[in-house]
Amino acid sequence: MIPDGYPNLSRAIAMQVAAFPEHESYLARRFAGEDAAALTFADELAVVIERLSGDELATVYRDYRWLSDIVLEEEIFFRRHGRYRLTRFADAVEQVYANAPYMARYMNGLLASQLWWRNHSEVMRYFRDAFIAGHAPGASHLEVGPGHGLLLAIAATAPGHGPCEGWDISDASLAHSREGLRRLGIADEAVALRKIDIFDAPDAQFQSIAFSEVLEHLEDPLGALRALHRLLAPGGRLFVNAPVNSPAPDHLHLFRAPEEVEDMMRSAGFTIESSLFAPCTGATLDRARRLTLTISAAVIGTR
Amino acid sequence: MSETLTKIADVIADLFDDHADTVTRETSAADIEDWDSLANIQLVVMVERQFGIQFATSEIQGFRNVGDLVDAVDRKRTA
Repeated sequence: MIPDGYPNLSRAIAMQVAAFPEHESYLARRFAGEDAAALTFADELAVVIERLSGDELATVYRDYRWLSDIVLEEEIFFRRHGRYRLTRFADAVEQVYANAPYMARYMNGLLASQLWWRNHSEVMRYFRDAFIAGHAPGASHLEVGPGHGLLLAIAATAPGHGPCEGWDISDASLAHSREGLRRLGIADEAVALRKIDIFDAPDAQFQSIAFSEVLEHLEDPLGALRALHRLLAPGGRLFVNAPVNSPAPDHLHLFRAPEEVEDMMRSAGFTIESSLFAPCTGATLDRARRLTLTISAAVIGTR
Repeated sequence: MSETLTKIADVIADLFDDHADTVTRETSAADIEDWDSLANIQLVVMVERQFGIQFATSEIQGFRNVGDLVDAVDRKRTA
């Protein structure tokens, strides 16, 4: 399925196929035509997922299969009705966030998706190579909603990095991020994790802010971007990643085109520096637009 | 080729860019590279719209090939 020389990725594929044999042809398409840089990144990402998963790695790959079934149900609704099933945050809390066993499986599945969904991997690579690598030495960095800690770990280990923080509104999410960072070898004192709502934030400013896969979970995404504009120092850079046409059980705001993410950032006061529109596995950007398939819109803005 | 099969072949051509001339009752996901589980849902929902019908989730995931889909459409339309 992949060339020799990528042992970690090869091991991950074997484990995923063992847990989800019907997915083998998809995984073959996922890596078909990938260049050495993309395969090297995927090989490194496979190691990160192993370290984050600890002795739960087999469970993570089983939960990815479960997530795939969940997404198919949402896809049926999306295709029939042209919208996401939920629009209210309270409903997402009730159906997803307050259900701890469901959330555990959901987070595990999403972790594996970073490797198996091409758009997810490409956005992570863009974050590292276009966003973090473009920072001035010592730039202060904040991630809002750091999740597993994958992006925060990249920021906290980049050459010349400055102080790093992660904010979330949930104690459980912050604990999950802390555990993830520890498993990736990031000392507690290297990244401050705080329970802070950006709509009620202290008077602070950062030179770099990451906001990845959060906008689509909000009832007021424009308000959130305006709050981030206040938190970004003049001349600072914001990284936003939001999926387009991507039904999921807790997605509320439907972006129908990647340019809508850029337009919303402009409305909040940002200037667009660069963007990556990454279509889902197997699709060109043109085909993804024509058939309203998932596109990850990763946009770097400046204040 | 039945009318139903012709219309479904047109939907497949639209969804997968070509293949309209080669679609038969035996055509399945194994024959078209981009026909994965997500594309299967797109295909079935496009067929639902085309014929003004709706399938149960279990039906959507149970079609083995185009012939199964054609037969299911014909059953719904005559029911």
